[in-house]
Amino acid sequence: MSAVSSVKAPLSTRFGNRLRGVSRLSPTATAGVIIILLFGVLALFSDLFMTHDPISSYPERILQSPSAEHWFGTDGNGMDIFSRVIYGAKFGFGIAIPAVIISVLIGVPVGLIAGYRGGLLDEVLMRIFDGLRVFPSIILALAVVAATGQSLLNVVLVLGFLDSPVFARLVRAEVLALRSSIFVESAVAAGNPTWRILFLHLLPNSIQGAMAQTAVRAAWAVRISATLAFLGVGIQAPTPEWGAMIRQGAEFMVTGQWWVAIFPGIALIFLVFGLNLFGDGIQDILDPRRRVSK
Amino acid sequence: MDEVILQAKNLVKRFPVGRTGSFVNAVNGVDLTIRRGEVLGMVGESGSGKSTIGRTVLRLTDPSEGQIFFDGQDITSLPAKKVRPLRKDMQMVFQDPWSALNPRMKIGDLIAEPLRIHLDMSRSECQDRTEMLAQRVRLSTDFLNRTPSALSGGQLQRVCIARAIATNPKLIVLDEPTSSLDLSVRAGILELLQELRAETEAGFLFISHDLGTIKLISDRIAVLYLGHIVEEVPKDKLFSEPSHPYSQSLLSAHLPSDPDASLQRLTLQGEIPSPINLPSGCSFHTRCPVAVDACKSTLPAPQEISPGHMASCLRLQEGGNIIPRDTK
Amino acid sequence: MSLLSVSDLQTHFIFHDIDNQLREARALNKVNLTLDAGQILGIVGETGAGKSLTAQSICGLLRPPARIVGGSVLFDGQELLSLPEDELNAIRGADIAMVVQNPRSSLDPLTRIGEQLVRIHQTHSGGPLDISRQKAMEMMQAVGIPDPEGRFTAWPHELSGGMAQRVLIAMALMNEPKLLIADEPTTGLDVTVQAQILDLLKELVARFDMASMIITHDLGIVAHYCDQVAVMFAGEIIEQGTVRDVFLKPAHPYTQQLLAATPERLDLGSENQLGGQPPDLFNLPPGCLSQDRCPRATDICRTDPPMVQVAGGHTARCHFAKPASKSASKSAKPRRSKQNG
Repeated sequence: MSAVSSVKAPLSTRFGNRLRGVSRLSPTATAGVIIILLFGVLALFSDLFMTHDPISSYPERILQSPSAEHWFGTDGNGMDIFSRVIYGAKFGFGIAIPAVIISVLIGVPVGLIAGYRGGLLDEVLMRIFDGLRVFPSIILALAVVAATGQSLLNVVLVLGFLDSPVFARLVRAEVLALRSSIFVESAVAAGNPTWRILFLHLLPNSIQGAMAQTAVRAAWAVRISATLAFLGVGIQAPTPEWGAMIRQGAEFMVTGQWWVAIFPGIALIFLVFGLNLFGDGIQDILDPRRRVSK
Repeated sequence: MDEVILQAKNLVKRFPVGRTGSFVNAVNGVDLTIRRGEVLGMVGESGSGKSTIGRTVLRLTDPSEGQIFFDGQDITSLPAKKVRPLRKDMQMVFQDPWSALNPRMKIGDLIAEPLRIHLDMSRSECQDRTEMLAQRVRLSTDFLNRTPSALSGGQLQRVCIARAIATNPKLIVLDEPTSSLDLSVRAGILELLQELRAETEAGFLFISHDLGTIKLISDRIAVLYLGHIVEEVPKDKLFSEPSHPYSQSLLSAHLPSDPDASLQRLTLQGEIPSPINLPSGCSFHTRCPVAVDACKSTLPAPQEISPGHMASCLRLQEGGNIIPRDTK
Repeated sequence: MSLLSVSDLQTHFIFHDIDNQLREARALNKVNLTLDAGQILGIVGETGAGKSLTAQSICGLLRPPARIVGGSVLFDGQELLSLPEDELNAIRGADIAMVVQNPRSSLDPLTRIGEQLVRIHQTHSGGPLDISRQKAMEMMQAVGIPDPEGRFTAWPHELSGGMAQRVLIAMALMNEPKLLIADEPTTGLDVTVQAQILDLLKELVARFDMASMIITHDLGIVAHYCDQVAVMFAGEIIEQGTVRDVFLKPAHPYTQQLLAATPERLDLGSENQLGGQPPDLFNLPPGCLSQDRCPRATDICRTDPPMVQVAGGHTARCHFAKPASKSASKSAKPRRSKQNG
């Protein structure tokens, strides 16, 4: 009914339209993206937003409540909390992203092979991964980091490894469904060797579920690393990491200096929330059977 | 050419049913021969085993019993690794073109895939041949950069055919290639197949449930019922002198689009028995209008009616195999 | 007055796509048909023609983004399009019944078939349970299910395709409908079973004096089981009339193409440039919708073709259809047709 225009609208208009269309399709994902972007900007351009140096202490201004000078107040060492919270965003992303990448790099190939081959290999791999999942991750992470040393790298590696079963399961489930589908049979009939079937045919078609989960797993990584720091493992003061800051601030809650723990806490909750929103909403967009809005 | 490209002897295929210990007896002793340059049509309804035969002769699934000879070579128990290179010479076109193609691959890559796997070609040679193949199946080369979702069913099936002929195979199995397509699109595909058949020297196995389509394209026709070939006949003879009672009822059930055509109704009673519980003796006896007691216990052997025409019916000898008709 | 009278039915698909553009497709365009008791109308067409959509529009079974944007559906004197949902529910399943393809997926897998028959009777007719049970047995008998007593407690998954279809037909008939709509009732069934089901439908339509609509893409079914036929393309009825008129003297080029494409009439190698892509309902050409695939299309086809009265009761939507009492098949040259209203 509408005439087909031969000239396309300028890129910016089309982009704007696409944005509007997507946000209409999934308000959840849109909200999530906004939050994630906000923290991303803070992490990348922290210098622009920080009011003070995050690790400089002002010993004469210990535990000051929020004021015009220190927007979020100061902590037990006299450090400006606002700047530390801003800086802490770097850790949120700096841990979450590498950890998720490691999980994907381990989990996806395992899921592919286990799902396609089936049989004994599948059983063995899945039992190992199930065992990993069943074990409380905090305890495991604590043990590993305590044994291997308190460093950012170790935390990232442990989290990455611990979370790979999630991706393996997701990919495996899709592969199980797909391996008896006609296009796979057609690929076999054409003479494809197994590696081509796994990586050219199965992988692109079984990865969507896993990809949608990355945001949610990133949220998990952020939360766990903060928890570890809170428990005294991993990153420690004076590094401005939210979990460590909450740990430090916890003791002051009782004495009424609420701002030391609450502000990093809010930041943590907010980022995790944003990641979860995005991970949840992305399904609406990726699912080919899209719900059509009126 | 007279060369035999495919020969199956006493092919049997059983599928286990879960853990119940029973089996789906899909194929129950089938002999078939396909020569270069000829089209063998296999027609049957559900449970006939026709699709299973198509997959088994290509070793997409392993036979339970029997032997398969491809181009003279016994491929019955060949390990998968040795079968793979043979696939350059034996290809398949599937029924549903939407599900037969990887939805995330470009059309050009899908057509070129057999070339990349089996032939040692430079990138430009491959590109050229892909374009040539697209043109051969009358598909615009504009589509080579698109994904399957952008094409219609008829176009997708042309892609599947291009893929199947890419390496000049000696045997092509087509499993209901037009059944999922609209009526007006079928003609184009069948015409294409007719042309290809004249050009290549390949043997074709054309599987369908539709007699009308089979008639158009086949040289010889094998009629299947519950995993047996009940009649094998040169095309024209099937329609003029169907011998097996099942062939006769199959023919009579076909509805022509001419409202004035008189229907010779031979409505069979009941439904096709389950392949899990095959009837004893001749599998057709439960529905056969001319069955006698012997049919319940004896599996009929194929008998020759005339050169190239055989049927498996106990009543052939005495002429009792022709079902009396009532015309509408 | 006809039992069913559909006038100018207009159904569109309306939604916002991922680029936030408003998309509207004219899925049904001014569909007109009438049906009386005892008649069997065949609605025939290819994918995207709008056959199922017509039935769904009549029964009020549309889901977004499909919407009826115009027209009227008069059933037994009542305008269905303006009925509130609860009144429509009372009619659906009772006075208007529908049988669809894939019978096994239409049956509730967790309820025995006898119960399902009873349930549908109870919903509309109420009354004592054993009356419903008795009726269910009678219906199972009528549709040719062997051993109704034993089969009453069967589960849907125990049934074969043909049996399941018979159960669906029985369900449709439980409340003695005035109109029975069968949407591809035999697709997916074996050809030998198809014959049984079609014979059954024909017999039951006569016995219960129902009006019936069979939707199919199979011309053979229409040729031998229907009295009237409507040929659809891209949401329009492009030719309509008795089966004999339309199939023996097709006036519309698309109908002619369709008939020529049936296997028994097909002549491979005679350069049949038939068919092509199904029409894109979002990008329909101006004027005649089938002009892109019509060998006779000329400039006049870019204007809306009139509905021409080819003979009494036989109409075709084409500029080249001749409103004559003689045979109206292919003319030598395209000519302007006289406007006949």
